[in-house]
Amino acid sequence: MNNKFQNFEERVQYLKVKAKEVRTNIIDMIFTAHSGHPGGALSAADIMTALYFDILKIDPNNPRWPDRDRFILSKGHACPVWYSCLAMRGYFPTKELKTLRKFESILQGHPDMRKTPGVDMTTGSLGQGLSLGVGMALEGKLVKKNYHIYVILGDGEINEGQIWEAAASASKYKLDNLTAIVDKNNLQMDGFTEKVMPMDPIDKKFEAFNWYVMTINGHNMKEILIALEEVKKIKGKPVCIIANTIKGKGVSFMENIREWHGKAPNQQEYKIAIKEIEGKQ
Amino acid sequence: MELSKANITTRQAFSERMLEYGAINKDFVVFEADIGYSTYSHLFGDAYPERYFNMGIAESNTMAAAAGMAADGRTVIACSYGVFITMRALEAIRTFICYPNLNVKFLSSHGGLTPAVDGVTHQATEDIGIMTTLPNMKVLAPADTESAKKIFDVAIKTPGPVFIRLMRDPLFDIYSKEDTFKIAGSKTIQEGKDLTVVTYGDIVFQALEAADELEKENIFIEVIDMYSIKPFDEKSLLNSISKTGALLVVEDHQKRNGLGYELSNFCLKNKPILFDNLGLDDTFAESGNYYKIIDKYGISKKHIFNKVKELIFKKRRGK
Repeated sequence: MNNKFQNFEERVQYLKVKAKEVRTNIIDMIFTAHSGHPGGALSAADIMTALYFDILKIDPNNPRWPDRDRFILSKGHACPVWYSCLAMRGYFPTKELKTLRKFESILQGHPDMRKTPGVDMTTGSLGQGLSLGVGMALEGKLVKKNYHIYVILGDGEINEGQIWEAAASASKYKLDNLTAIVDKNNLQMDGFTEKVMPMDPIDKKFEAFNWYVMTINGHNMKEILIALEEVKKIKGKPVCIIANTIKGKGVSFMENIREWHGKAPNQQEYKIAIKEIEGKQ
Repeated sequence: MELSKANITTRQAFSERMLEYGAINKDFVVFEADIGYSTYSHLFGDAYPERYFNMGIAESNTMAAAAGMAADGRTVIACSYGVFITMRALEAIRTFICYPNLNVKFLSSHGGLTPAVDGVTHQATEDIGIMTTLPNMKVLAPADTESAKKIFDVAIKTPGPVFIRLMRDPLFDIYSKEDTFKIAGSKTIQEGKDLTVVTYGDIVFQALEAADELEKENIFIEVIDMYSIKPFDEKSLLNSISKTGALLVVEDHQKRNGLGYELSNFCLKNKPILFDNLGLDDTFAESGNYYKIIDKYGISKKHIFNKVKELIFKKRRGK
């Protein structure tokens, strides 16, 4: 994917434009569905764009290509961002995005590996995605293929104890083909993470489980790319990228507001949101 | 019927076959949650360490990781005790294995009251109800050494998730090398004309012993080992109850949501007949000798004997 660019700067510019389109689709889908989770989809949009338009070794014409990199959206409720990336990469027609959460749609309310081309694993129940990733990474090691497994975790869902069971097992098996990206937007459904269930320091926790940890600005495309490139050089350990993000990023009235975790915009809010996203670089 | 004592338990028999099968089929892997010396999965792990993953005392992570490994079609055998598989890890099984219909087979030891001495925490007396409720899940429960080994083959060759209920201690052996087993199959171990007793697992032997006692009173019961609990053998059941006109289901499980509930529902819809069931009556059990515990909680040969006589009395009065 990245061979077509003259230099790093061009690559970054390209991804920034794509990220705007991804965000527009997110708002569009959730507005059309009258339901969905915009906040956490928008916070993950830049990371997801970098993965789907640069990093991941995938083939939209062959979604189950055995050598592909795998992706798991552990925070499954943020799936509009995933569906948007998949449609834009050609896994299915973009018009399908209008069917999100609708009767007999290929785009279920939470990701379904049997219904949506490109979805490698069903998710939606929080705290389970890292375990699923551990299994996929063990499979990759067993078949001696060098594909990589990327798991996006919410900073709320790491409240779940199973995340830490998975962290221990990934470390035991030295799963350097597994990368967890924590979308650290500091909000969970009932409020700020530090109030609901403080988990900081997250980096120290993963380090204590013997993971290689990096911390980045999850909205800075350069930092995202540099971190995701570095991942491939780490041997003998799983990698955790703590991506500091803003919930609702890109739509000013949604940013850092708890209520936009799981609410659809009305007509007026929709217009403002689209305008803001398209106006921003 | 003369019962011969089993040398090994069904969990060991199943794992021994898993070891044998590991040499024939290199494609399946085994997940364990730190009770490998109890489930006997260590036999496989010792022979094939690269295909054996001990995930520690963390059943939810074990089952979800099994799902991840099975996501592209790999067959995984995941081992633990019934209580932990069906309750601790239930959501991982339901949402990430049953929902996408992945090839994960569950070696579930310590079924029913067979871990009697261990007490309630380890007695899986709700496992069948929980597992049969899950879409795509199939449920099997072998009674002896031979059937446990053959049911390993049935499970691994059946697509999608399969739950296999095994026992803690060796009981008896009834099947021979010639016996065959299949999904939705059953075994009519003893033929009879007066009443059908359907059971599975450890209670098969209680039913056979009760049958001997009943025979002395000129009551001839048909004993069916319904080792395939979901799906079950509808045809054999219908044939048998059409002949006997009365059905008693006995199981080492809660009465509620067990095979008894399933079959009473089936009979009500297809062939209403004289029916009753024995099982734990909305209660937990306790620690103690296995035979004393199954007797106290209503599923021993004595209870089967008494219940059959009661039903036969009703049946004859009804005519």
